[in-house]
Amino acid sequence: MNLLDKLGKEWLFCDGGMGTILQAKGLAGGELPETWNLKRPQDILDLHCAYLEAGADIFNTNTFGANALKYPDDLEEIVRSAVRLAKEARVRTGREDAFIALDIGPTGKLLEPMGDLPFERAVELFGEVVRYGASEGADLVLIETMSDGYEAKAAVLAAKENCSLPVLVTTIFDSRGKLLTGGTVDSTVAMLEGLKADALGVNCGLGPEQMYPIVKRLTETASVPVIVNPNAGLPRSENGRTVYDVGPEEFSDWMVKLASLGIQVAGGCCGTTPEHIRRTIEKVSKLPFKRPVPKKRTIVTSFSRAVEIGPKPVIIGERINPTGKKKFKEALRRKDIEYILSEGLRQEDAGAHILDVNVGLPEIDEPEMMESVVTKLQSVTDLPLQIDTSDPAAMERGMRLYNGKPMVNSVNGKRESIEAVMPLVAKYGGVLVGLALDEEGIPDTAEGRIRAAEKIYAAAEEYGIPREDIVIDGLAMTISSDTGSAVTTLETLRRIRDDFGGHTILGVSNISFGLPRREIINSHFLTMAMTQGLSCAIINPGNEAMMQSYRAFLALQGMDENCMGYIEAYAGTSAPAPSGRTSAPGAPAVKSAGEGAMGLSESIERGMTGSAEAATRAALQGRDPLDIINEDLIPALDRVGQGFEKGTVFLPQLLMSAEAAKAAFEVIKESMAGTAREVKGRIILATVRGDIHDIGKNIVKVMLENYGYDIIDLGKDVAPETIVETAIRENIRLVGLSALMTTTVVSMEETIKLLREKKPDTLVVVGGAVMTQEYADAIGADCYAKDAMASVRYADSVFGA
Amino acid sequence: MRNAIDVIRETDRKEVRRYLGYYGKKADAAIEEQIGFCLEEMCTAAEPGAVFRRCGLVLCEDGRIQITALPEDRVQGILMETASKSLARNLQGCCGAYLMAVTLGQGPDLVVRRAAVLSPGKMVICQAAGAAMTEAWCDEVNREIREEASRLGFGCRPRFSPGYGDLPLTLQKDFERALEMKKEIGISLTDSLLMVPTKSVTAIIGLTREDTDCDLKGCESCSSAEGCSYKRT
Repeated sequence: MNLLDKLGKEWLFCDGGMGTILQAKGLAGGELPETWNLKRPQDILDLHCAYLEAGADIFNTNTFGANALKYPDDLEEIVRSAVRLAKEARVRTGREDAFIALDIGPTGKLLEPMGDLPFERAVELFGEVVRYGASEGADLVLIETMSDGYEAKAAVLAAKENCSLPVLVTTIFDSRGKLLTGGTVDSTVAMLEGLKADALGVNCGLGPEQMYPIVKRLTETASVPVIVNPNAGLPRSENGRTVYDVGPEEFSDWMVKLASLGIQVAGGCCGTTPEHIRRTIEKVSKLPFKRPVPKKRTIVTSFSRAVEIGPKPVIIGERINPTGKKKFKEALRRKDIEYILSEGLRQEDAGAHILDVNVGLPEIDEPEMMESVVTKLQSVTDLPLQIDTSDPAAMERGMRLYNGKPMVNSVNGKRESIEAVMPLVAKYGGVLVGLALDEEGIPDTAEGRIRAAEKIYAAAEEYGIPREDIVIDGLAMTISSDTGSAVTTLETLRRIRDDFGGHTILGVSNISFGLPRREIINSHFLTMAMTQGLSCAIINPGNEAMMQSYRAFLALQGMDENCMGYIEAYAGTSAPAPSGRTSAPGAPAVKSAGEGAMGLSESIERGMTGSAEAATRAALQGRDPLDIINEDLIPALDRVGQGFEKGTVFLPQLLMSAEAAKAAFEVIKESMAGTAREVKGRIILATVRGDIHDIGKNIVKVMLENYGYDIIDLGKDVAPETIVETAIRENIRLVGLSALMTTTVVSMEETIKLLREKKPDTLVVVGGAVMTQEYADAIGADCYAKDAMASVRYADSVFGA
Repeated sequence: MRNAIDVIRETDRKEVRRYLGYYGKKADAAIEEQIGFCLEEMCTAAEPGAVFRRCGLVLCEDGRIQITALPEDRVQGILMETASKSLARNLQGCCGAYLMAVTLGQGPDLVVRRAAVLSPGKMVICQAAGAAMTEAWCDEVNREIREEASRLGFGCRPRFSPGYGDLPLTLQKDFERALEMKKEIGISLTDSLLMVPTKSVTAIIGLTREDTDCDLKGCESCSSAEGCSYKRT
């Protein structure tokens, strides 16, 4: 009998606590529970038998913490013996109908980029356990107690890639209904269903009573069967001792309430016993069973946020895209991720709900860049991303490493495209953009585009991608070459909405290509498209005219409760804000009455970004750019720097001045159109291996950049080899290393040693909280910089500036 | 215990300025305003958590210090062991100890990372605000521990963290296990034993049979520190 023949069709019951019972049987502190599979197999066997006799249908192998990190030497034996014990228990109790769940818990490590376990390493670790367990005869994989959705994703992929057993996943929510990493019920359900988990749910952390709202939300959002395995109440400290005190009667009464919400699988976790499970089965199995109902919602998620597409249209920020953007292309070539991240954050502040990520340039390694941008963006924003590429390898890399359920752009009606893209969406999950075109090109009638869309819907069904995960691009083509094109696009949108109940998307501004004052056409077209059902508008949210159309539409369409969104955006404003950026949103909003009139030097000294930009623009009207740099900008920076060295100016002021100067430089750079500012020298900066603190390094970077240095920022936790290889490849004269902890100064020393050996002519400046002159001397650095200004002075002495 | 958010909302701005290097000097109005914004943003992002546990303590003749489970605990055994001389001085004469771990959660780290992209000036202020907020939260948890200890008839020494003196960071592994830090409040350790979220602290608090507590702020603020044989160095 296969589990899938019963799952979601009748009541199924899981077993209860294992660790808490082993503790009661004498498991010592620090002793790994899985070692009992070999040391005390009888105890494990007895526990399985007790749960099977209580009536559990699904019972867990004693492998919760089994992975190669904890069992580097005998993992295979631990896992295989666990499954063998489960099989033996099944025979001994005559419960051949029960299913053996290969139990997989978290690794205990935090995944990159927040922690240091690479995603693919996590997949490997889980995969190893799955291979042993599946080949030994487990009936399903139960991934449980996951407090990080990303780790759960790694485990699901590992299970799917290493066996063909059903995969069940339960996560641990806190009393606010969130995972430790911030995920909600909605975001977790969308991601796990996208990954094709066969059932999902909640375990541990809370008792059945506290789980009620979470279980309710689960049953409202999940289309697959829901599993609920609570603790025997909240752990309570009694004289320093952890106790769970919800007894079998009370527990099972609560399970009846939870079961009535429409769950399909029930069991227990910490503190529950065979008696808890027996009473639960007695009571719950009498209740009418409800099958899970498909919810048909279109959801994209980040690690913590779920964004629903439709009925309210959403804004997808289009700025992370090199098309037609010289500066962005340059950033891609230089691997200047910071610049790309700042484009993302500005769009978030401007009101984007999803960020499009297109990093395709012919001369770069797109899969690698996609990986880098997706992971780094996800460490600074919780907006869902749209992975936008025509390179299937880049698409797969982005989707695989993505933390959540992404939007994917795009597939079209051509068979070749369908065969390249749809298997990826079927495997990783995602909301897929389908361009309404096919082998015959872009149809010039709505009828033709609908036919292409139908092909896409049909193919999705073939690949097992739910229809609601398809969003059709109605194709906005410029009206300057065909005045009927907008009408065709709008009719396509309307028919997808009315005839198919589907969702649509447009790259809105394409409509006006070749026309003057494009935003006039764009903003009106956006309004028209939304009235025809447009669900996703790919636009620049920094363009105020477009956002005005969007907000006005929501208010007029009854989609902005009490017009609060509109009022919040425009109350107290009198005229349309100028388009284009005057100051970085989120940057220090230091404004004073006379700011606009302030000179450049003063703006920099006072750290006012907006006025520094304005003053630079004004100065450029009549003066040579280089004169502005040499007479105003650099002297102002120097005065602040000297003040800092004397102790009259403090770090925040120094940095704000640096930001203002940087903004002024940007304005000058734009005006100089190509003739780049003279670079004094190129410097590598890195926080050494083992150290994840990069604040100090970032401060030094800003200062050095302002003083005319080109910085190769290798980031944090950087291996000595990487630093040395880069220094050799780029022929670098000066390397700056940062370490915050005494323990990581060792890596610093290692790096210096390797550098001396492989590239002896490179100088090293070191800094960081624990660093001292003595320390620096001891590890063989050329210079100890006590702060950012000292780094600048040293660089100037090295490069003779 | 007071509501954690209330506690961190009342974080002393003086402390934030101290972390920024102002040492008692006033910042100018624009920076002061920024400190206000950053404190607010960090507080909004914070999801503070705390876990603590009373333990047994064995001070061995050979200088080893063992922190053990209490007889009534479900799982018995030694929770951590160290030969740290600095900790030995701190725990001299103690008959028990608390282990504690606190965190502001991952939200403040996100705020700092975002600021690092858009504004380094804001980044350092958020960083300083976070450090001051963490200390304020530690003080509150420490206060709660002192109240519990005093009900049980103990006085408390100032808290002592891995990384102080010669107390090694490797103890973080033992804290992780003994307090189930990851499961309870979401603190993970990297291979180099740093905590994530970064705004997190672990500490040991010695228990004495004396009826007076040490200064909560530690020996640096204590008026009797001069000549005190338990002084933290």
